[in-house]
Amino acid sequence: MLDVSRVQKELAECNRDTAISGVSIALHDGGSDLSRLSGTISGPVATPYEGGTFQIDIRLPSGYPFEPPKMQFVTKVWHPNISSQNGAICLDILKDQWSPALTLKTALLSLQALLSAPEPDDPQDAVVAQQYLRDHQTFMATARYWTEAFARRSSVGIEEKVQKLVEMGFPEDLVRNTLESVNGDENQALEMLCSS
Amino acid sequence: MGSEEDMHDANDVQSVEDDFYTGETGMGSEDDDYNFGDNYSDDSEDVTSHRQQQNYTILSEADIRQHQDENINRVSTVLSIPRYAACILLRHYNWSISRVHDEWFADEEHVRKAVGLLDRTVEISNARELTCGICFENYPCGRMSSASCGHPFCGACWRGYISTSISDGPGCLMLRCPDPSCGAAVGRNMIDVLTTGEDKEKYSRYLLRSYVEDNRKIKWCPAPGCEFAVEFVIGSGSYDVCCSCSYSFCWNCAEEAHRPVDCATVAKWILKNSAESENMNWILANSKPCPKCKRPIEKNQGCMHITCTPPCKFEFCWLCLGPWSEHGERTGGFYACNRYESAKQEGAYDESERRREMAKNSLERYTHYYERWATNQSSRQKALADLHSMQTEKLEKLSDTQSQPESQLKFIIEAWLQIVECRRVLKWTYAYGYYLPEHEHAKRQFFEYLQGEAESGLERLHQCAEKELQVYLDAEGPMTDFNDFRTKLAGLTSVTKNYFENLVRALETGLKDVGTSNNQATCSKSSSCKSLGSKSKSGKIKAVAGSSSGSGAPSRSFDDGNLWSCDRCTYANPRSTTTCQMCEHHR
Repeated sequence: MLDVSRVQKELAECNRDTAISGVSIALHDGGSDLSRLSGTISGPVATPYEGGTFQIDIRLPSGYPFEPPKMQFVTKVWHPNISSQNGAICLDILKDQWSPALTLKTALLSLQALLSAPEPDDPQDAVVAQQYLRDHQTFMATARYWTEAFARRSSVGIEEKVQKLVEMGFPEDLVRNTLESVNGDENQALEMLCSS
Repeated sequence: MGSEEDMHDANDVQSVEDDFYTGETGMGSEDDDYNFGDNYSDDSEDVTSHRQQQNYTILSEADIRQHQDENINRVSTVLSIPRYAACILLRHYNWSISRVHDEWFADEEHVRKAVGLLDRTVEISNARELTCGICFENYPCGRMSSASCGHPFCGACWRGYISTSISDGPGCLMLRCPDPSCGAAVGRNMIDVLTTGEDKEKYSRYLLRSYVEDNRKIKWCPAPGCEFAVEFVIGSGSYDVCCSCSYSFCWNCAEEAHRPVDCATVAKWILKNSAESENMNWILANSKPCPKCKRPIEKNQGCMHITCTPPCKFEFCWLCLGPWSEHGERTGGFYACNRYESAKQEGAYDESERRREMAKNSLERYTHYYERWATNQSSRQKALADLHSMQTEKLEKLSDTQSQPESQLKFIIEAWLQIVECRRVLKWTYAYGYYLPEHEHAKRQFFEYLQGEAESGLERLHQCAEKELQVYLDAEGPMTDFNDFRTKLAGLTSVTKNYFENLVRALETGLKDVGTSNNQATCSKSSSCKSLGSKSKSGKIKAVAGSSSGSGAPSRSFDDGNLWSCDRCTYANPRSTTTCQMCEHHR
């Protein structure tokens, strides 16, 4: 049975100093289910992830905190220990090294640390890990590009909307400009595009 | 197997060390278990005596607990540490007292660190209220517990922590303080205080299992449902052990007992029996793949014109695997595929044909040995069932009809036990035979001779115990010749026993002393015939008939100066001996 009181305490504690820690936790989709959370970490400075904001899906098993939380990157990220396909994370404290004295906040902070210090010898994504070891420059470039493309707060979802509107037959430049002018509101942009 | 043997070497050394410690501390109650030195000084040639000497101990659950407690107490006393700490140390070093002592006295600090035993116990701070490190609630310090590190957690969280760990498996025996930066061990003392009921029981169960499963001298009996364990004196001869549940198994490889065949051969044989490779061999030998769709086809009758089954329906020639459409007049007629002949001459088909031929031969050879192996196996199962029914009902009935006390009928049970044992040995000699190299003709011949004789001897015993006994079972009242039957069956049992011991000895020494064993074997064989041949109606033993007719009256001792004849098995012993070399019967 999930320890509700502990989770509530953890949420309060974690979100008290978000500005300093760079990690925060919220209920998933603004719901009320305490076992379904959504974590956010900001990319650590002096890494290719700097400036990015990464969303992490958190599911708490009923045995929490005696069993580890299940965490997965929602935001696509190019990192040897994180799957580029589905965001699965290879981190010992989320598996056998979990201890009930750890918290969601410490786990998120560990993820942040993982972003700064990848462990390519224990990879989750073999392709990324190989690139990291053999062609570090390309790795850095790709990681930076992915951060730009997927982890910029403003760009969250923008690509999809652009894609959709381009498929309707509007030129891409126009679509981007229009979307920007209406702050990314897809419907409003469509109206404008149609009426112009 | 190489590494396995290395391991045992290491164990040998260890046994000696344990012995040493037993002596030094003077608290060992297990001197009997470590009489390994005595065993070793035995004449190594005398394999039989090794077998008769018990080199293993059967442990019940209570015995295991007792041994475990004794070990824990010993370490606890010698190292002056609490029992729970001794238990953690022993578990860490696979329950080897000598290793615990060695490591501890070599570098106590290192050992303490490795297993999480702190030098000094840190008491929980005596503040009025403390925050539990898991649920983050505040409690008065009286309601908090901690390991020796002093990290406080509340009772409910401890229970959750321990319970989760116990349901994860035997890893709970290595439990540490929940604080991730702390490695303090959580021992049995805390488990006992903090948990209840089911968890406590499971933990104690894991601890017991660990004593057997992590201990290199003890193994569980592999028989289904059996709860005994066997402690073995490593380096003391045969690995065959017989559990109190009556299951015999090899302590080394945990397969059923397989003297005289070694573990490696048994493993190979069992793998072979289960392997798909024989299926493959069969398919290879008896079928050809359709040249078009590649499905294997077995030709069971008819002409060479093969039509593959739908949907393929390809028509081809079985001999050359060429399309049938090419088999007109110009190829020399439908039923004489000269293309095959000419191609064979050119060598085009040679390789695959040869492979098929070889596979077929090897399959036949394997089948020969397997059938005999399996028959003896099932015969043994039947004998076991017969033995059981004998013990549970028939013996009583026999005792009634023949007016004999049951204590006087033990020879029947002994006969059946011997049959069961012999079936087992005989079964494994077929695995032995399969792996005996073809080119060692002398050995093969001798082996097959020994095996053949053993087998026919056993058949006679089995026949006697099964069929001839039936007469006395069915009889209305006591029969006068029952005593003769007793003599015969007891004699057959003893002779068969000797014979199989010779066989086992010969095979275990790799048929090295072909000469001497041969003599013994021959003597033993003829002796069995002399004493019993005149009564036996069984014509199964060819060699028997001649020798028995010549010897005249059975069971008669003679003394020709240098030799005396055993009046049980008639073996001619040197004068200097007082017991028969063959059956150990006193002169």
